Amino acid sequence: MSIYGNHASELERIKEQLLADIQEIRGHMTAELGMDPIEHLLGRVKSEESMREKCRRKGLPETEESALQAIYDAIGIRVVCAFLDDVYTIRDRLASLPYCAVAEEKDYIRHAKPNGYRSYHLILRVKDCYFAEIQLRTISMDTWAALEHHLKYKKNVQGNIRLIEQELKRCADELAATDASMQTIRDMMQETDV
Amino acid sequence: MKLLLAEDTADLNRVVTVMLQHSGFEVDSTFDGQEALERIQENGYDGIILDIMMPKRDGISVLTELRKQGNITPVLLLTAKAEVDDRVAGLDAGADDYLPKPFAMKELLARVKAMTRRRTRYNKDRMQYADFSLDAETLALSAENTVRLSLKEFELLQMLVIHAEKELPAEQLLGTVWAAEPDAGEDTLWLYVRYLQRKLQSVASEAVITGSRETGRVMLHGDNAEA
Repeated sequence: MSIYGNHASELERIKEQLLADIQEIRGHMTAELGMDPIEHLLGRVKSEESMREKCRRKGLPETEESALQAIYDAIGIRVVCAFLDDVYTIRDRLASLPYCAVAEEKDYIRHAKPNGYRSYHLILRVKDCYFAEIQLRTISMDTWAALEHHLKYKKNVQGNIRLIEQELKRCADELAATDASMQTIRDMMQETDV
Repeated sequence: MKLLLAEDTADLNRVVTVMLQHSGFEVDSTFDGQEALERIQENGYDGIILDIMMPKRDGISVLTELRKQGNITPVLLLTAKAEVDDRVAGLDAGADDYLPKPFAMKELLARVKAMTRRRTRYNKDRMQYADFSLDAETLALSAENTVRLSLKEFELLQMLVIHAEKELPAEQLLGTVWAAEPDAGEDTLWLYVRYLQRKLQSVASEAVITGSRETGRVMLHGDNAEA
């Protein structure tokens, strides 16, 4: 018996619908900006195994109720943008989709985590019934998160962990500065276009 | 380079002003401490020359007030010959240098030049202004978050902090921060102003930089309600 009960295929359909709507937003923005705002777009329904593992980790019973109502990322979507402002534009357009409501959001771009992690987490209540977690970030933030993830899950990282953490934080802050500079340059180019 | 002179003896004031102007400085002369303080709060200077004994407000009290407000413009104090205690009090209050009266004009000029030269390379390890700090060693700009600045961004922000809440003319910023790069023009300055505006947002600081090509002036505000 699936932990998602008989909702598994509906979760797939919602994921596909969200991805299709993001593609549509992307199309409109590409026309407006004269460039594609999205570098890549990924979506998944959390596997049976990792959902059960997450329930155990959170001390929840391995039930349909836990998987669909207590945990918000049965549906997970990641939108990776080239530029900072596009993260916020896509966030606004997602939040105004007719069948979605914002259940919760955390702006770790404006309020970076102490380790340097930056990303925008948007949890949508979909069709009054399901949850979907949308992570929006820039390419720089995505690259950083990939390396940080590697550090976190690698069992035996060689060397001085504290130094590695400090250096990763420094890289995150340098990348954030670069994102700000790149956005400024794009703004300037678009003004000269007019 | 723009200097403020506060000296109540009219003849001396005039001689020093003319001599400094002749040496290429732009000089605002004032005759008492109160007027000096008001001018400093309105304008950005590259150096300040203060007489200690002055009507309305003495030089040390002006200096103390400036440093209390976080103004780190270099200050040269003019002291009477016997006033050892004044010199000590002046240095304690944050003066960069002092010169006992009577002095030779060429010594005053040499000290002013040395003082303003130091300022362009002024490297306070850590500057704090409003809700952000600036670390000279790592070029980190921090408020709630941290970002790393480039050297030019750092130098520009440092200038704006030194003269915070004052409108600085674009030419003055270009002439100081890009002194070694005569090719740099206004486009460069305005791009860097915008970089810093963005980076203050990135660290979630309340401070804002205002300014436009039209006015030709740039100003750092401690919080966006004032801007």
